[in-house]
Amino acid sequence: MKTRTLPIHSIDDNTLWNNLKMGDEKSFSLLFERYYSDLVSYGNSLSPYAEKVQDCVQDVFTDIWVYRNSLQESVVVKAYLLSSVRKRIARLYERDHIFRKTASTDTIAFLLEFSVENELLDDDYATKEKVMYLNKLLNELPPRQKEALYLRYHQGLSVEQIAEMLDVNYQSASNLLHRGLLALRKEWKGSFAFITLLFSSTL
Amino acid sequence: MQKRNKYTEIEDFLSDESFQSWILNKIDEDGWEEWTLESRQRAKLVQDARLLLLAMKVPEHELSNSDIHRALHQTWIKIRDKENQQTLKSLKVRFLRKQFLSGVAATLFLGLMSAWFYNNYYETDSKVVTYKELIEENSEGLVEQTNNSDKPQIITLSDGSSVLLQPNSKLSYPKIFTGNERKVYLSGEGFFEISKNPQKPFFVYANEIVTKVVGTSFRVKAYSDQPDVEVLVRTGKVKVKSNDLVSKSDKEEIVLLPNQALRFLRTDLKFNKITNITQDAVLTQSVGNIEQLSFEFNDIPVSQIFETIEQAYLVNIDYPKNKLIDCHLTTSLSDQPLTEKLKIVCKSIGNNTSFEMNGNQIIITSDGCN
Repeated sequence: MKTRTLPIHSIDDNTLWNNLKMGDEKSFSLLFERYYSDLVSYGNSLSPYAEKVQDCVQDVFTDIWVYRNSLQESVVVKAYLLSSVRKRIARLYERDHIFRKTASTDTIAFLLEFSVENELLDDDYATKEKVMYLNKLLNELPPRQKEALYLRYHQGLSVEQIAEMLDVNYQSASNLLHRGLLALRKEWKGSFAFITLLFSSTL
Repeated sequence: MQKRNKYTEIEDFLSDESFQSWILNKIDEDGWEEWTLESRQRAKLVQDARLLLLAMKVPEHELSNSDIHRALHQTWIKIRDKENQQTLKSLKVRFLRKQFLSGVAATLFLGLMSAWFYNNYYETDSKVVTYKELIEENSEGLVEQTNNSDKPQIITLSDGSSVLLQPNSKLSYPKIFTGNERKVYLSGEGFFEISKNPQKPFFVYANEIVTKVVGTSFRVKAYSDQPDVEVLVRTGKVKVKSNDLVSKSDKEEIVLLPNQALRFLRTDLKFNKITNITQDAVLTQSVGNIEQLSFEFNDIPVSQIFETIEQAYLVNIDYPKNKLIDCHLTTSLSDQPLTEKLKIVCKSIGNNTSFEMNGNQIIITSDGCN
């Protein structure tokens, strides 16, 4: 009886996952409520069709329940869900473009634009400029690098999990992340020097 | 938080949740501000990480709770559909395999398919009886109530009987019971409390079985997509038999007494009687509020009795609290449907006490007790 009174947040993903496997509807619902919103926002970054995205995420959960008996036991639940959503959306693209020959998960592109939240910037003008500039650089990165960054820093996945999701080996995933930041830093360093110079000279 | 002392790369900071929340939500639980100021080099690194995080925001579209609940509900519907399809498919597969094994050549495939359809229409149809077919059999002009919410709903029938209909369930019933029988049709799960009337037996049709009662309370669980049908008896006595549409002979009629249950296996049309329900995992797991609550009251404040009724039927009861504050009752309401319970309580309080029911809203008017 005691476990009933525990707040739902304290039940970890894996316990819920294993209960779900044994047919517990409550655990299924809890996982759904915990991740639905996250999964939809990730899906929206891969497809411009918001309604289809919700459909895909619901289908992912439907399959999890219907095929619960054949689910793996030890998974990182969030990574599994994100990856399933990605595959679903890729499949949707495949189906909608029957005549397109190549249809792998590579074909879907990360569409999301990183943004700057202005109210957070109570800094001086120079800092604001820097952030805007960085933001522009980030958005110019190749989609896969952007997606890797998003999964790492917004969804909190590990490099291993990102590698698995994007279907590349660990090194490539790590490169994707690193190269993204590296390219950024290089250009950024250069222009910062420039900006600082510019500012110090005008002062 | 000691691990941050080892941070040497911007990346280390970016993936630190506590750091993220400090920068993006300005919630500094771990004293980042102070920590940053401890060293110049550190401050530089933190500043870079900060700028990067600020430049990497993503638009957040948090879904509201009701959006999520709607989506969850939608998903359960999808699951039921898919499970239905699957059982259909596996039936098909099994059938086809049999035919192939009997040596039918592939060229006869088409003929076979039509044979299968023939079979499907003239045999399986009479084997699996669902709610829809049952409804079509009846010509009394039925009212249908569907519970699409996530809470049980109370339905009061014209004879005063009450049915607590579970989510994802449907009940069809005549607006007014006429003739010598009271018949209702269930798809899903419901808890029935039937008002006593030996002249007019009450029948619940659910999938392939028929449950006959005179006055009692019991639960029927018959989802069209589940392999079995369950009947569980709380009070009184009920008789269960299979529907005539399934088997013409009414040879098998099972009598159930309180705290007995029965499970009907739809595939082989067999009854399994469960004499000890506490030993049955499935049944004990799914006991609803109403079955857990006791309706035996011994000198209990009226407010408590109303509260119990509210919990059992998920209704709201509005009553003059001040006037009834000192009223205590001793009564047994176990074997009564909702309206009967209310009638008894009102009568016991006396003094022009009456009730009015509107959906799940009940209003009691009273001048206080004797």
